[in-house]
Amino acid sequence: MKISKRTIILTMIILLLLSLTGCGRENKEKKTVFQEDEVYTIADSTGDWGFPAPYTHYNRGPGYVRMSLIFDTLIWKDKTGSFVGALAQKWEYVEDDTAFVFQLRKDVKWHDGESFTAADVLFTLDYLKEHPYSWSDISLIDRAEALDSHTVKVYLKKAYAPLLANVAGTLPILPRHIYKNINSPLEYTESDALVGTGPFKLVDYNKEHGTYLYAANEDYYLGQPRINKLQFIKIGEQMIPNAVLDGTANTGSIPPELVEQFKAKGLTVLVSDHSWNAKLKFNLQEEPFANKKFRQALAYGIDRKKLVNISQRGHAVIGSPGFIPPDNPWYSSEIEQYDYNPEKARKLLEELGYVLEREFLEKGSKPFTVEILTSGRFSGDAELVKNDLDKLGIKTTVRSMDGKTVDARTTEWSFQLVISGHGGLGGDPAFFNTNVLADTFHSARYKDNQELLSLLNQQLETIDENKRRELLAEIQKIYAIDIPALSLYYPTTYEAMDSKVDLYYTPGGLASGIPIALNKLSFLQ
Amino acid sequence: MEKQRIVDYLIAFLIILSLNFFLPRLLPGDPLTAIYGDDALLSITQEAKEDLAAKMGLDKPLLEQFGIYLNSIFKGDLGYSYYFQSSVQKLLLGTLPWTLLLIVPALFISTILGFIVGLESGWRYGRLFDKRLLTGFMLLNGFPNFLVGISLLLVFSVSLGIFPLAGAVTPYAQLSGIRLLLDILHHLVLPLTALVTAEIAASYLLTRTTVLTVLGEPFILTARAKGIRTVNIKYKHLGRNSLLPVVTRIAVRLGRMFTAVLLIENIFAYPGVGLLIYRAILARDFLVIQGVLFVVAVVILVTNFLLELLYKKIDPRVIEHAY
Repeated sequence: MKISKRTIILTMIILLLLSLTGCGRENKEKKTVFQEDEVYTIADSTGDWGFPAPYTHYNRGPGYVRMSLIFDTLIWKDKTGSFVGALAQKWEYVEDDTAFVFQLRKDVKWHDGESFTAADVLFTLDYLKEHPYSWSDISLIDRAEALDSHTVKVYLKKAYAPLLANVAGTLPILPRHIYKNINSPLEYTESDALVGTGPFKLVDYNKEHGTYLYAANEDYYLGQPRINKLQFIKIGEQMIPNAVLDGTANTGSIPPELVEQFKAKGLTVLVSDHSWNAKLKFNLQEEPFANKKFRQALAYGIDRKKLVNISQRGHAVIGSPGFIPPDNPWYSSEIEQYDYNPEKARKLLEELGYVLEREFLEKGSKPFTVEILTSGRFSGDAELVKNDLDKLGIKTTVRSMDGKTVDARTTEWSFQLVISGHGGLGGDPAFFNTNVLADTFHSARYKDNQELLSLLNQQLETIDENKRRELLAEIQKIYAIDIPALSLYYPTTYEAMDSKVDLYYTPGGLASGIPIALNKLSFLQ
Repeated sequence: MEKQRIVDYLIAFLIILSLNFFLPRLLPGDPLTAIYGDDALLSITQEAKEDLAAKMGLDKPLLEQFGIYLNSIFKGDLGYSYYFQSSVQKLLLGTLPWTLLLIVPALFISTILGFIVGLESGWRYGRLFDKRLLTGFMLLNGFPNFLVGISLLLVFSVSLGIFPLAGAVTPYAQLSGIRLLLDILHHLVLPLTALVTAEIAASYLLTRTTVLTVLGEPFILTARAKGIRTVNIKYKHLGRNSLLPVVTRIAVRLGRMFTAVLLIENIFAYPGVGLLIYRAILARDFLVIQGVLFVVAVVILVTNFLLELLYKKIDPRVIEHAY
């Protein structure tokens, strides 16, 4: 086989040209027509969160938020975290019928000019039966009917309090006239999948570059957005603070160390709420971790304040033994707080039959050892906890593994203690049930305490907010006594912004509890 | 001889195909969790999960999945990613050109520059010029890629503001033609420099060592005795003979560059396959991992093949000694 030099050089040139033309083609797609109008730029280090239609955005908070600018829900949370009307202007619970009645707005138009009616809401609920929507569980909805063209009554199989937050406040309503023709919404990314009722319309989405461009919907029923264009651009995590400083972006997240510097420069720094927790999990199927008293001993013996100060450099809130973060509206302080008290911890361990022999605890003349399983992100925390346990006389080793391996071993109960973390503590307190009863690795999978079990079920069925709050206070009290898992801390994150738009973190998070400071209402006049 | 080579390549290709399938699946964690996220924000029924698992073929035995994989590869179908909500081909077509735009020039520049400097350095072996260069490049060789990238960004983008902070084009700037090309080049300068800086030392060090060996060969002495001009000795006699290992290494370096580019793309938020595979691994998106590795493997195999042909051109002895 003889190939000349020229052929080889030619092949190389062609390859290079091919790569260049590929790049060029990408850019032709982004033809947008607008002059120097008000553009608001948001910097993001991941960039691509999926095609922002309800079924195609990635199942993460930022993906949902990008979709929520285009699609509306029946109700939505405002700056104070209370529900306000979106597509529904009024709603009420009819106890006798176990049903919610939603009175819809009459002045709403889809982006393509069609009118929005009750038929769209009914269609959406129906569509979900065929094509489940990951963010809203509608299994407790028995049926829905239209009382007139703009009133919908949703009958439940039984009273279900999270319906407001997790369905009415989370489920984007789909245009019937379009989605009735879409049979595989998970793979459908044509532009008509993006016809919503929201304050923005999508102009461009570029997966590779991780950019989104939105234009204001001037006919928005809650008022015209105060900016004409909104864009998301992708910038490396380390460079985001600079992008905000030099005006490349109007807002972006910043590391805790830069907070003071940004404030000094006249920028506003938003402080997140605390819906994410680092958690110590116990193997509840193995002694002594299955023993409540032992878990209490560890709760007294671990200095959570030290974790906040050292591992989080003060940028976190100390974990509540009742699981719900202190800045959450459902938090109750009437619980055992387990302030650091190694003496008490030792006493409890003694009661369990552990004897201190040459600095270390023994039971039945066998040395007592414990292994903490964790991943890189929490290895600092694990070392601090190990120190505390060593002080109690518990000989502790730390084993650090890849995060997914830790999760897999947690699922299989193949551990003694695990330190890992998860979010989702912001929205409807239904999250309490998921994190105690569900069979996932983030859940404590604790079903021993019948009282707790029954209270948890009751809180889901209690529509009255005050009664529900009382139930949750009781739940937190019991949880803090039983400690099926121990929340160590809730980290704080920061977002810097200029003065162009007054962004805010919505208390309790957006929709089902997304802790992102991008509430679409903040863009309205 | 040619047949034997082709069989060799086929064997390598098949081994790569199998590793490509099984290695990602040995990673702990499962792709469904990645798609659905792992926090309490979502409420997904078990039924929906099983539905998706079936769509992704995860419910089938591993060997059956392997069969489907081989079958679709030979049909040229790399599959559909439910995490990225896009076909793998489309994802690759969107990202690979950008990575090639980084890697190909970086490979050329670092090889040529490294070769010339290495040759000059080796020619002046033991002198101050050589010593300084050697120290400099050794230092550079030990420098982690990301540090080079971050330093470049800090100096040229943050402090001086000459180059953009991120990306491959200015988002939504409505550029076309020559202005778009300039914009792309403007964004390319820093990541390309970072990649060249990370790569040039290897090529320099290799050339220098080879030059030192070749310098001792009798034909150099003969050439000098014949009174041939220094430039000619350096580039025609010494250069051509020192080129061989450098060319061989190109394919190896190309493979390594695909890993180096992962970090560079992350730092510069450059939209290439490096970033794609990084996200795919985090998401345990087997199809995308497979797809990217498959294409990278093919690119490397093809380059290897081309280089082998090139090698015969540079050094005719290879033909005589082969098989």
